[in-house]
Amino acid sequence: MLSLLRKIVSVGRVAEPAPPRPEPAAADPAQRIRTLRGSAQVRCVDAGSCNGCEIEIGQAFGPVYDAERYGARIVASPRHADVLLVTGPVTRNMAEPLRRTYQAAAQPRVVVAVGDCAIDCGEFAGAYGVEGAVADVVPVDLAVPGCPPAPDQIVAALRRVTGR
Amino acid sequence: MSVNLPGTALAVAAGLSAGAAAAALCAPDRIRVRLVGTLSALLGAAGAVAGGAALAGHTYAARLPDLFALSGVTLQVDALSGVFLAIAGAVVSATSIYGIGYASGPGRGRWAQALWPLFAFSLLLVPAAGSVSTLLVAWELMALCSLLLVVSGDPASGRVREAGVWYAVMTHLGLVAILTGLLWLGAAAHTETFAGLRIAAAGISPAVRGGVFVLLLIGFGSKAGMAPLHAWLPRAHPEAPSPVSALMSAAMVNLGIYGLVRFGLDLMGAGSRWWWLTTMTLGALSAVYGIVQAAVANDLKRLLAYSTVENLGLVLVGVGAAGVFQDSGHPALAVLALAAALLHTAAHAAFKTVLFLGAGSVLHATGTRDLDELGGLRTRMPVTTGVFALGALGAAALPGGAAFPSEWLLLQSLIHGLAVPGTLVVVVLPVTVGAIALSAGLAVATFVKALGTGFLAKARSRAAEQAHEARGSMRTGMGLAAAACAALAVLPGAAGPALARATACAVPGGGPRVSAGVARQLTALGSTLWPLMLVAVTLGALVLLRAGLALVSRRAGQRATAPLWDCGAPPLTARMEYTATSFAEPLQRVFDDVLAPESDLDVTPHAESAYLVERIAYSRAVPDRVEHRLYNPVVHTVRRAGLAARALADGSVHRYLGYGFGSVVILLLVLAAAR
Repeated sequence: MLSLLRKIVSVGRVAEPAPPRPEPAAADPAQRIRTLRGSAQVRCVDAGSCNGCEIEIGQAFGPVYDAERYGARIVASPRHADVLLVTGPVTRNMAEPLRRTYQAAAQPRVVVAVGDCAIDCGEFAGAYGVEGAVADVVPVDLAVPGCPPAPDQIVAALRRVTGR
Repeated sequence: MSVNLPGTALAVAAGLSAGAAAAALCAPDRIRVRLVGTLSALLGAAGAVAGGAALAGHTYAARLPDLFALSGVTLQVDALSGVFLAIAGAVVSATSIYGIGYASGPGRGRWAQALWPLFAFSLLLVPAAGSVSTLLVAWELMALCSLLLVVSGDPASGRVREAGVWYAVMTHLGLVAILTGLLWLGAAAHTETFAGLRIAAAGISPAVRGGVFVLLLIGFGSKAGMAPLHAWLPRAHPEAPSPVSALMSAAMVNLGIYGLVRFGLDLMGAGSRWWWLTTMTLGALSAVYGIVQAAVANDLKRLLAYSTVENLGLVLVGVGAAGVFQDSGHPALAVLALAAALLHTAAHAAFKTVLFLGAGSVLHATGTRDLDELGGLRTRMPVTTGVFALGALGAAALPGGAAFPSEWLLLQSLIHGLAVPGTLVVVVLPVTVGAIALSAGLAVATFVKALGTGFLAKARSRAAEQAHEARGSMRTGMGLAAAACAALAVLPGAAGPALARATACAVPGGGPRVSAGVARQLTALGSTLWPLMLVAVTLGALVLLRAGLALVSRRAGQRATAPLWDCGAPPLTARMEYTATSFAEPLQRVFDDVLAPESDLDVTPHAESAYLVERIAYSRAVPDRVEHRLYNPVVHTVRRAGLAARALADGSVHRYLGYGFGSVVILLLVLAAAR
C-alpha cells in the first residue's frame, strides 16, 4: 500500500498536455452530436475488428491520453451509454447484435465508427463473412479514419462529442 | 357440573371422524369429496379447540372401561397434550379443506377417503391417551392409516410400493421398540396409567429406566426422523398424496417428540444426563445431515422431507437441552429450551403444511416434482407462489419467518447453558450451537433454491409452461396455513402463557416465576421484531400508495417498456438459467465427503475414430449415504437368510406337521428344564 502511494507520488501525472478545445458546437454538421454537451458515456462494440482499433481505444483511455479528462467514460452496458464506439467491418454474426445494441442505448445516441474497416470495410471488403460497413447497419454520426487511428485522433473525435 | 371443554371437543371429534368415514363409504359421488372434506375440517377444528382449551388451563381425564376388553381406554389431556392436539387439529383443518380440491381429480377412491378422517382422529388420540395401552392402540392406528394413505397415491407405481414397504417395516420396528420399552416400564412400575407411572417411576432402578429410554428414543426418534433412523421419511413423504405428506410431516412426526417429552421428561423425571446428551447429539446430527441432503435434492417433496428431518432434529436438540438443564438443576433454562422446542414444533408444522400443500399444487398443475423441470410458475400460479414464498421464508428461519423466534430462543437457551458444569456438556453445547448455525445457513440456500429454481425465471419444460393455478379450496387450505405462519412470525409473544403452561407439565421444577420468565422472553422477542414489521408495513403502504396514485392519475398506460438487455445475443432461453442441480453444485462439492454423490460420465466415441465423440451421457445421483452404508447390508443379510429359509418350506404337508410336532416337543422340553 505504501509502495503504491510512493509510486503515485514519484511518477506524478503522465498525461500529455491537453490540445486546444475543438471548434464550437454550433459548427458541427450532425445535429445529434451537439446534444451531448459536457459528458458522454461510451460503450465499445467490436463488430468484427482485428483488435488493432481496440488497442488504440485502450490507449486513448489510458493515463497518457486520458480521454476521461474531457468527459468521456467507458461503461459496461449499452443501457448506460450515450455513445457507441464501433470498430471493425460488421461481420454477419455481429450485424444483429450491433442493431440490438443500438436499440438498447439511451436516446439521443451517437455512433462513432472507429478505423478504416468500420468506415468502408477496409482490408476486408467483399469477404464472405462481412455484412458491410457500420453505416450499412446503423446510422453513423462520426468517423475516425486510420488503420488503426492514433489515440489522439480518437480522443479528438470524443472531444467533438463532449465539447470539452 | 359444568361441561369439560377438551373432553367435549374430543367426543365431537370422534363423532365427526366416524361420520366422515361413513360418508366416504356411503355418500353419493356428487357430494362425497366435499362432504368428507368439510367433516374432516370440522374434526380438525374440534381437535384444535380441545388443544386450545387444554393450553388455556383446562384439563381432562376419563376412563372408558368398556371400550376395549381387558385394558379399557384411559384419556388424559393436559397443556402438554394440548400443544400437540392444537397443532394436529389445525393441520388437519387446513389439509382437509385443501384435500377437497386435490381429491376432485381422478385417483382417489372411497377407501382412501375413509382412511383420512380416521388418520386425523388417531393424530388427536395419541396425545390424548392417558395409559400405555391406549397410547399403543392409537399409535398403531396412526401408523396403519398413514401407511395405507401413503400407498393410496398410485398403487401401480413401483416407487410407491417400495416407499410403502420401507415405511411399513420401519414404522413397525419403531412400534416394537416402543412396545418393548413401555411394557418393560409398565412391568417395573406395576401400573400402566400415566398418573401411576409418574409416581412409580422414581422407584425404578436407573438401569431399567435407561434401557426403557433407549428403546423409546429408538421408537419415537424413528417416527420423528432422527438421523440414522430417518430413512423412511424421504421415501414415504414424496410418494404419498400431497395432503397426506403435509399431515404426516406437519402433525404425525411431531408425536415422536411428544412421546419423548411425555415419557422422558414428564413420566420418568428427566433421568440421567447421558440420555439427553445422546438426544442432543443425534438431534444436531439430524439437523445438519437433513439440511445437507435437502440442499442437494432435486425432487421438491424429497427436499421438503429432508427439511423435516432437519427441523425435527432442531426440536430434538431443544428437548435434549431441556433434559440436560433439568438434570443439572437449572429449571429456568430447561423451561426455556423446552419452550423453544415446542414453539419450533408449531412453527415447523405451520410452514411445512404450507410448503407441502404448495408442492402438491405444483404437482397437481404440472405433474412433476423435479425442480430441474419446473420454473416460471410465478406468472401462472401467483397465489401458490406467494404462499410458498411465505413458507420458504419461515423454513429459512430468517427474521419475519415463522421459525425465526423459535430458533432464536433455542440458540439463546443453549448459549446461556454454557454455565452448566460437566466436561461433556462443555463439549456438546458449543458444537450444537455451531450445528444449528450451519443448518440455518444451509436452510437459506435450500429454500432459495426451492423457490428460485422452482417458481421464478422461465419455465424449463412444457408441463411447467402449461401450469394452472390451484383450485379455490386448495388456495383456501394453503391460505389458512400461511396465515398461521404469519401469526407465528409476527406475534410469538402471544404463545407465551400457553407454552409456559405446557412446559410446566414436563419440567416440574419451573414454577410460576420461571414460566412468567419464558412468557416475558417471548414478548421481548416479539417486540425486538417490531422495527422489522414497521419497515415492512411502511414499505407495503408505500407500494399501495404508489399503485393507488398510478390508478388515479391513469399514468399506468404511459409506462415505457423495453426488452431485457441480453448482450445482443438471440433471446434468453430457459436453458441459460440456473437449474436446481447447478444451483446446488457448489454445495455438493463442499459436502462431497459427507454426501458421496455418484456421477457417471459415459462418452461414446464415433465408430470411425476414437477422437470424435458421438454422444456423451451424464448422470448424477445423491443417494442417502446413511441408507447406503447402514441399511443395505442389513437388508441384504435378511434377504439372504430369507432365501436360505425357503428350503424349509417345500410344500410338503408331512413336513409341516413334523415342524409343528418338533416345536411342541422342544417347547415342552424347555419348560420341563426350566422348572
